[in-house]
Amino acid sequence: MPVFALGFAVEREAANCAVRNWIRSRRMAPFGLGKMAVERLSGVYLPAYLYSATANSRYEASIAEKYKKLRLDRDDDGASIRRSEETEYRDLAGRHVTSLSDILVTASHNVRNEEIEVIEPYELSRLRRYTPALLQGWSAEEVSLSPEICLGHARDEARALVTRLLHEFMPGDGVRSLRHHTEFEEESIDLTLVPVWICTIRYHPRKPPLRILVNGQTAKAGGRMPFSWGKLGLVLLASAAVLAAAIVGLSLLGKAFL
Amino acid sequence: MSQQLPPCLRCQSAIETDDLRCPVCYLAINRAPALPAAAIRVQTLRCRSCGAALEYRASLQAPQCAFCGGVLALEEKVDPVEQAERYLPFIFDRQAATDAYRQWLGQLGWFRPSNLTSNARLESLHALWWIGWVVNADVLITWTADSDAGAQRAKWAPHSGELGTMFDGLVIPAGRGLTAAECVRLIPSYSLGNTSDPAGPQHPEAVLERFELPRSAARSTILETIRRQAESEVQAQHIPGSRFRNFHAAIRLRSLVSRRMAFPAYVIAYRYHGRLYRTVISGQVPSCIIGEAPRSVAKVILVVVLAALALGGLALGLLLQLR
Repeated sequence: MPVFALGFAVEREAANCAVRNWIRSRRMAPFGLGKMAVERLSGVYLPAYLYSATANSRYEASIAEKYKKLRLDRDDDGASIRRSEETEYRDLAGRHVTSLSDILVTASHNVRNEEIEVIEPYELSRLRRYTPALLQGWSAEEVSLSPEICLGHARDEARALVTRLLHEFMPGDGVRSLRHHTEFEEESIDLTLVPVWICTIRYHPRKPPLRILVNGQTAKAGGRMPFSWGKLGLVLLASAAVLAAAIVGLSLLGKAFL
Repeated sequence: MSQQLPPCLRCQSAIETDDLRCPVCYLAINRAPALPAAAIRVQTLRCRSCGAALEYRASLQAPQCAFCGGVLALEEKVDPVEQAERYLPFIFDRQAATDAYRQWLGQLGWFRPSNLTSNARLESLHALWWIGWVVNADVLITWTADSDAGAQRAKWAPHSGELGTMFDGLVIPAGRGLTAAECVRLIPSYSLGNTSDPAGPQHPEAVLERFELPRSAARSTILETIRRQAESEVQAQHIPGSRFRNFHAAIRLRSLVSRRMAFPAYVIAYRYHGRLYRTVISGQVPSCIIGEAPRSVAKVILVVVLAALALGGLALGLLLQLR
């Protein structure tokens, strides 16, 4: 049973509008996609895990400390003093301990973690204890990924977050060779239902339908937009034409002056 | 008001009945068995008025009956405005406070007007409970910084460290009745172990200040204050050398218990030569008085003139001696 759930706050019309706006913002989307009817738009509660833990890291790094140096340069005309900036590298090792929370990873085999990441964040301050009343009239997908796989995904996200935090944690004017060994302690993972509008558009009979996800709380849309090679060709042709016109214009201008 | 539950299993922080997750480490409260794999089952809920099936409406963020429009209220995350749980008692009465104020006026020093005690007119004296959180916290701080200790060619050298520290009875003011500076100076005068019955204040005339922040904002304030205190402790005592820069700290709260308390004080307003001044007296120690008082301009000018004359005389004496 899920522990928590986030209720839908975005209605169908708003989700449809978010999809249209998102398609319009993709410059290299296939021709005519913006005018195509949304084939299917369904509100679904997706299963996801909320992960929290204490990250205990041991790190080693080489810290850059910049300093100014006066240098005496001798040449045929005499000597001159030049001020240059040098960098001294000092080793630093230590521990970094922090609490990590609100890492959300998908528990659905159909919706990949990267697809959820593009429509995050969810407002987790509006989290509710799971109740069947939230699901009335809506579909809810069942958990289709094993908890072990989800835990692995959550740890990968947590490790990436710790690496970023450690880079921000380093003193000095720069850092190189940052290595860390992180252990996650006191882990918890809670099944949560998150609201998602899933939109499918069939834009080409021989290609798989395009899937766009909309955050059911914030209306943030995202998806994997296919690349239009036709549009790229047109852009390249237009650029080449402009370049050619510029070259011809310049050469004519040059001849007129000569 | 919500009740306290057993502490968080992970960090031992205080949990209240309305909490879905631990406010410090975000562990779920009363959670289902870890890593569940069971399928989600949907029950059909019926409207209490007409018996029709309910459907969750995104616009209302609650289930609504399609026939009669009845809305089923869901359990909401509760974020109430905090209330004081304990009251420190007033040790002395209004008369003793007035006497303490008069005595304080007479002891302010030579630079105050000579007729201050006789001419200051007491405008009002109010008994007030100002509010704050009393926090016990166990904190682990890991930090890095550049300091001048161990510097070689560059002026700075990198340092790192860690510190486990306990905050026992840290008072964080929560109201607006008194200024932060006034609260900080009053805090040492209170005996925190001596609290009155939580049922309510016993002083008949005292005004109880209200907490203005909802619980979530209050917790943010508490966590931020602990962070600042912990960082100040490291900066003041643990970074080697005489100068530092690029200070970074990661703070992990190992436990946090906070109590909402009301602190007794008398707030006095008095008028001297038409201008209003404010004085605050701790409700537990009458000698702990913080306040504003006028200065005698004539006395200040007299001292400046005398000092100038003395300096001038000294300079003249030195000049004559040199000749």
